Formats: sequence, structure tokens, C-alpha cells
Amino acid sequence: MLSYVLAGLGLGAIYAIASVSLVVTYVASGIFNLAFAAMAFAGARFFYFLNTESGWGILPAALVTLLLFAPALGIALYGLLFRHLRLRSPLVKIVATIGVSVALPPLIDLVFGKLAQVTAPGLAPRPLSVLRPFGAVVNMDQVTTYIGLAVVLGLGTAVLRFTDVGLKVRALVDSEALTSLSGTSPTRVSVGVWAASSSLAALAGVLIAPTAGVSMEGMTALMAAAFSAVVAARLRSQPIAVVVALLMGVATTVVQRYLDPESTLAANLVPSVPFAFMLVFLVYYAIRGQAGDSSTGGALDRAIRPEGGDPALIPSRPRAGRGLLTVGTVATVVFLVVVAILPAVFDVYWTGLAAAGIALSIALLSYTLVTGEGGMVWLCQITFAGFGAILTAELSSTYGWPPLLAVFVGSVFVVPIGVLLGVLTIRLGNLYIALVTLTFGLLAQTLVFTQDPFYNFGAGTAVSRPEFAMDNAAFAYVALGAFLLIGLLILNLRRSTAGLAMTAVRWSENGSRTLGISVVQTKVLISGLATYVAAVGGGFLALNFQSSLPDSFNPFIGLVWLAVLVTNGARSIMAALAAGLLFYLMPGLFQTFLPSELAEVPILLFGIGAILLAKNPDGVIAMNRRKIAELSERWRKPQDTGPGPEPASPPDESREPVATVGEERPVTTGGRA
Amino acid sequence: MSTALTESGTAATTARIEAHGITVRFGGLVALNEVDLLVPAQSIVGLIGPNGAGKSTLFAVLSGLLRPTAGTVLMDGENVSRSSPQERARRGLARTFQHPELFSAMTVRDHVVLAYRVRHAKSRIWSDLVTGRGFRRPPAQETARVDELIDALHLGDIQHRPVAGLSLGKSRMVEVARALAVDPKVLLLDEPSSGLDVKETEELAATLVRVVADHGVSLLLVEHDVELVLGMCDLVHVLDFGVKISEGKPAAIRADPAVRAAYLGEEIERADVQEQIAKIEQGEPA
Repeated sequence: MLSYVLAGLGLGAIYAIASVSLVVTYVASGIFNLAFAAMAFAGARFFYFLNTESGWGILPAALVTLLLFAPALGIALYGLLFRHLRLRSPLVKIVATIGVSVALPPLIDLVFGKLAQVTAPGLAPRPLSVLRPFGAVVNMDQVTTYIGLAVVLGLGTAVLRFTDVGLKVRALVDSEALTSLSGTSPTRVSVGVWAASSSLAALAGVLIAPTAGVSMEGMTALMAAAFSAVVAARLRSQPIAVVVALLMGVATTVVQRYLDPESTLAANLVPSVPFAFMLVFLVYYAIRGQAGDSSTGGALDRAIRPEGGDPALIPSRPRAGRGLLTVGTVATVVFLVVVAILPAVFDVYWTGLAAAGIALSIALLSYTLVTGEGGMVWLCQITFAGFGAILTAELSSTYGWPPLLAVFVGSVFVVPIGVLLGVLTIRLGNLYIALVTLTFGLLAQTLVFTQDPFYNFGAGTAVSRPEFAMDNAAFAYVALGAFLLIGLLILNLRRSTAGLAMTAVRWSENGSRTLGISVVQTKVLISGLATYVAAVGGGFLALNFQSSLPDSFNPFIGLVWLAVLVTNGARSIMAALAAGLLFYLMPGLFQTFLPSELAEVPILLFGIGAILLAKNPDGVIAMNRRKIAELSERWRKPQDTGPGPEPASPPDESREPVATVGEERPVTTGGRA
Repeated sequence: MSTALTESGTAATTARIEAHGITVRFGGLVALNEVDLLVPAQSIVGLIGPNGAGKSTLFAVLSGLLRPTAGTVLMDGENVSRSSPQERARRGLARTFQHPELFSAMTVRDHVVLAYRVRHAKSRIWSDLVTGRGFRRPPAQETARVDELIDALHLGDIQHRPVAGLSLGKSRMVEVARALAVDPKVLLLDEPSSGLDVKETEELAATLVRVVADHGVSLLLVEHDVELVLGMCDLVHVLDFGVKISEGKPAAIRADPAVRAAYLGEEIERADVQEQIAKIEQGEPA
């Protein structure tokens, strides 16, 4: 038993280091580092490069990795991205950090080469020696994790408690604005925090590498486990995060003592432990009414922080009421015509990619709903798409349903899962929603997608396309028809009373509730619709590939989906179509016309696109549409076309002068002097 | 239905909203301590007090955003203490906020349109999804009512602008228009004149008085502008440190030695001086 506990403490120590890193950056900068896994991967990969590939000793390789490379990476990311996110909305912060998590791994692969063999040595010398305290067995890898955690906690406590730098960091945590006013540069302190945090990420990555490998999958699993500890700590308390991380590690290993390691139960139960911890703490905090996003900083910081959303995410002008012949309409029609021509002019290979892109764009419309309209960052849309794919394949192949019926009706069965998740996260802030949904996606990947009979050695369940759409071109048109149908439904939703209610709930829950709008019903409606659309998209992907292909619904790929979508625009229906096509056509272009070493460059570009969201939250398509519209405005004579369709919005509003505060009435206060 | 007697004993009226023994504790802090309050039908009631007196807390309790530690809230005599904010809104309660709670991405007009539909066509939140009504023109009745409110609050020139970026004064006007669009029986206004200029404040006051007279709405007004409160309210409640220290007609509040000496003296003196000046300017004896 003691061996299991000691092994669990080793695992928990790595979780603890990861959670400390996440908590430190969150409380000091207000940014939850969803790029943690990518940074851990970068550190582990660099250590592997020095130690294994270049023959450096463990100590110099570790010192260079942890004290030079990782801090430099943290500082570079802070300078390039994180410092620009300080006053951005939670939504932009989350998506931008996801951009880093998408862009960094392919960049590292480009520089150091992609690893075929992911198992790697840690900080303990090989061959591993073993200690036997009280008859239990502990290997040196585990001992190094204990030492690592002890050093992190000891050094961290000493620096924070007894040094001038620590005082400044604590001041920054309390209030960045006041710290700045007192003459301390928050930038310098933040640079230090990000450098230290990056080192911790690298340390966690190096320590987990011997068991999880130098792979993004392993690092993402580590990050997901750390999420549970961080949620338990309500994003702020390091001691609680460390204790819960250690408990999780112990629970994960101790539970294996009572299970057959080869059994399905063990395979399902062990990876579920962190999610179970997260669920328990979420329910506990929800009951206590403490489950919302905790705000960082002091009163002054809150006063200058954008509330609810990013000002840049607010449309600069209404979308309705400009008549049929607008720049946006013309651009949309031209784009659709071009897309419709593609299957007719492409050969079979490219038509196949285009069809896959159109099918994917249906799934991406779920992000348009949940993130673009609802303002929530759900990171498990790909999981719902995976459920849709599996159900489509099963209903069609096993039960003989017509393929399209299987897609549209089968997707209905996925909706309750999304609604349930929506209800569970209804009172949570965006950050918690992102953490919970990503963890749920990882859990579903382990418990459902990789299990037989769905997995079938990665091949999934075979499914046929409809008889009238067996070839790629015909199927592409069927998928395009489905995309347009769902796009029209979303457009209708956006202009409807339901759309107004969704927007209202997104921007002010109190304002909505006191108006008589049910926040719960509205959010559940968004969750249900988005889940259905994602599942339909997954079904079409399965039809396109003629198999459910469960491996293609990995949550990490879902982050890439989100990155490529937000690069184009989270609120635009056409952006979803463009994103879907880009996701498949761009890698096709690279694989066909460029060296194979550059195969991952498209993913890198998608990640960079999401990072750029920090500067242009509307996305590329909306930005360009706005610029074209501004150019067009210069050539148009202002005209009033009267009330437009519901909600009525006449067209010349943007030319009205901005209302200004007039002469202020001297306001008296009723309080004592 | 319940009735109540005002402090002066002159009017026994039906109460639109009543609060009895409201106590709110945040840990060891007592934000409200057994506060009673009554808003008769078709009346304007003021609630004044210094910062931290508990005015906004009481508003949150009345509108259902905050559940009190003790006490009951009645609307038209029915106990709504355990009702949600949306349930109270359905019963005819509307409110504005000290810091306007607007829907940043929506236009001024859409705020009023949504509020109107929530009250008059709530099923459209669901039915619009399948009927495609979002693409059609709104009913004439809706357009007329929305136009009327927008004109009344002088929002016509900005009605199609997103509310993000509007001045505080205009934002307050939008909140009032949105609140009125639900045809409320009781309207809670949290510092409606804050951020408004003199002209806007006068226009708002006139609009509110007209709404009360024409539609029988009851107003509960939290306001720091003592002159405005004493000038337009039928009844005034005074809170201090979570305790109601006085209530009555404006004249009684003005004359209440306790309020005057310990609490509002300076402001009331200023309001008195302004009233005297106004009378002199109008040729009346001071």
C-alpha cells in the first residue's frame, strides 16, 4: 500500500507543480494559462534535445532548460502576447492562450524535429535506482518529483515572504493598478512571474516525460489534472491546489491497487479521477454559491477592467436594415459561388478535401452559436461532433437508418449531454466553463472514443454516404446545402427575439433577469442548439470519411478548430465555412507543394491567427468586411431606407453624432460630510 | 391586497410593493436591519441615505436579486419573498441600476424592442426560432409603442447605435426606456439622475411624473439629488447604516430635526435656499 501512496505522491507532486504554475500566473496577471501544456511540452522537448539527442549531462541540460530556455520562453510569450491581454475580456484571454497552445508545439517540432519515439528520461540518472523505505518501492524518478516540489514550495515561499521581489509580487496580486501607482513597474514584476511560471511548466514537463512521454497528449493530460486542483483552489489558493494535487495523485495510484490493471474498469476509472475531483469541488462550490469566476486585483483594477466583454467584440454598427445589396451580402454571395464552383473544377483529391472542409464548417457553426452568440468558451464541441459521428455510423451501419436521417435524428440524442453540461456550468464564469468542458472532452476521449466497439483499432465504424451523393462532388454539395440550411437557422435566430434574449444574457445577466428573461433557459437553449449543430457536423464528417474515425475528435484538435475559426471570426457564418475549408485545404496545399518538414506549418498559422485575436477580436473576415464597408461608405450618399426587418434598425445610424455628456448637474450627496 | 397609512395619516392606499422587516447580513455586517417600506399605487416614493446606507441592497432585495436574511416582500399583497427576479418582473416589477446594466452589443432600439416583447410576446423567444419572424417587419403596435418610448426619453437620434460607448446619462435613459417598455406596475429607479445634465434631469422627471399620472405606475426612487427627491416624491424614506430613521412626506422629512441635524442638514438647507431663490425669481414671496 505504501508503495502506491509514494508513487501517488510522485504523480501528485507533478500535478502540484503544474497547478502552482497555473495559479501564480492567474493571480498575478489575470490570465489563465491554457498554453501550459504547450509550454511544458516545449521545456520537455528542449531537455530531451540537450540530454538525449545532444548528449549533455542531466544537470547541465536541466539547468539550461529550467533556468535559461524556459524563462526566455515565458518572457518572449509575455512580451509578444500576454502583456497585451491585461485589459482584455476573459473570452479573448482564453482564446489567445489557446492560440499559443496550438502554435507552440508545431513551432517546437519545426525547430527540434518531430519525435517518433515519445518516451524520455527524466531528471534521475539511468538506469533508475530504487529505494525501499519501510519495505515500499520508490524509484529515483519519483524521488526527483518530491525534491522538485519541495524546492518549488521552499524557494517560492522564501521569495514571496522574505524578499523585496516577493513583496512586489504580492502587491501585484492585490492590485496591479495600485502597484503601478506606487512606483513599481507591473511589467517588470509580470515578466518575472511569467519567467518563473514557464520554468515551473518546463519542470513539470520534464518530470512527467518518463511516464507520459514528450507529447502534447501527455502534457495535455497533465494540464487537465492540474485544472482539477486549480478549480478546487478556486483559481487562487496555492496551498489548497498543492494539497488537492497530491491527493489526486495518491487517489489515482491507490485505486489501481484494487483493480486489475488490464481491466476495462481500470482503464476507465484511472483517467477519471481528476475529473471526479473537479466535479466534487464544483458541486461543493456551486452549493455554497462560490462557483463563479473569481476576480483578480483590487477595486481600482476592477473599475478599469472591461466588464462582461471586450469592447472590441461589440459590433461597430448594427447588422440589419441595410437592404439587400450591401457589401456584406455581395461578399457572401461571391464567396458562396466560389465555394460552390470548387467541387465542379477540383479533381477527386481536392474535392474530397473541400467536402471535408464543408462538413467541418457545419461543426464549426456550433462555436458560432455558443461562443459567437452566447459568449461562452466551450472546448468540447469536438466531443459532441465525435458523438454525432459515432451515432451516425452506428445508426446507419448497425440499424440500417438512411445516412442523412441518422445524422439529423441521431444528433438529437447528443443534445441532452450538452444540455446537462450547460446546466452544470450555468452559474460558472467563462474560465470555469472552458476548464470543465476541456476536461470533459478529454474524459470522453478516454472513456468513449477509444473504447470498443466504437474505436476498432482507430478505424471506427464504417458508414456509407447517401446513394445519391457517393462521389466527393455530390457529397460536397449535400454538405453545402446542410451548411446553408443551418446557417440560415442561425441567421434567423440572431435576428429573432431569442437572439436578442441571448445577447441580453451574454452582456448582463442581472439586466436580463430583472427584465423577465430566464438566464437558465436562454443558456440551456444555446447549449442545446450548439450541441446539436456540432453533432450534425460530426455526422457529416463521418459520412465524408465513410467512417466515424474516433481519433479525429481529440479535444486538442478541437482547440485547433477553435483557433482556425476565431482567426476568421467567431460571429460570422461565412467565417465558419472559410475556416472549415482552410482547415483541410491549407494542409493539402502544404503537403502537395511544399517539403514535408513544413507539414505542421498550417497548424502553427492557425494558432498565430488565434493569438492575433488579442488585437483583432472580430476575426479576419469581419475586419475586412468592415474595411470594405468603410471604403464603400465613402462612395455612397447617405440615405435613409426606413425601418428594416426585425429588430428594426434603420441604416444611417452610424453617421449620427456620438452622444456626449452635456452639462453635468451638480449632484449632491446625502451623506454626512 | 393590503392598505397602509402614510406617516401624515392622510392617505390609506393599496400598496404595489411592500417590504416588512427586511434584514440582510453579510457575515458580521448588517446591511439592512428590519426595514419596512411601502410603495402605494400611482405614487412616487423616494429612498434616500448616505453611501453605504443600504439603499441598493434594499433594491436588490425588492427586485429579487438578493434574498434577505429575514423579512418579506409583497407585491399587490402577495408574498413574493421567494420569487425569482424574472417572476417578479412578470408580476410587473421593473428596475434600473446604479451602474447601468445594458446589453452592450445591442442597439438602443433593440433594448426597448426586447423589453416590449418580453412583456407582450414572450413566446416569441421560442417561436421565432421556427417561424422566421426575425426576417419580417415588426407588428405596427410594437413599432408604435417602441417609437413612443424612444421619443419620450429623447433617444431618437441614437436609437440605432449600440449602447456601448453611450454617455452615462444616455445609458440611464436607455435603462428607463427599457424598464417602461415592460409596462411595469412598479418601477425601481436607482439614482436615475446621476450623470444627467440639468435639462436631461428635468425631462426625465417630467417623463416619470407623466408615466405615473397616465399609466398608474408606482415609482420607488433611490437618489442622491435631494432636491429632485423632495421635489417630485409623495413620500420619502430615509435610511442610515441599514436602519430606517425616518419616513414621511417631503415637508415632514425637510422638517424632521433628527434627519436635518444628524443626517441631511446640509443638503436640505441647500435645497431650501434653492427653493427660496426660485420663488423670488417667480415673484412669489419667499
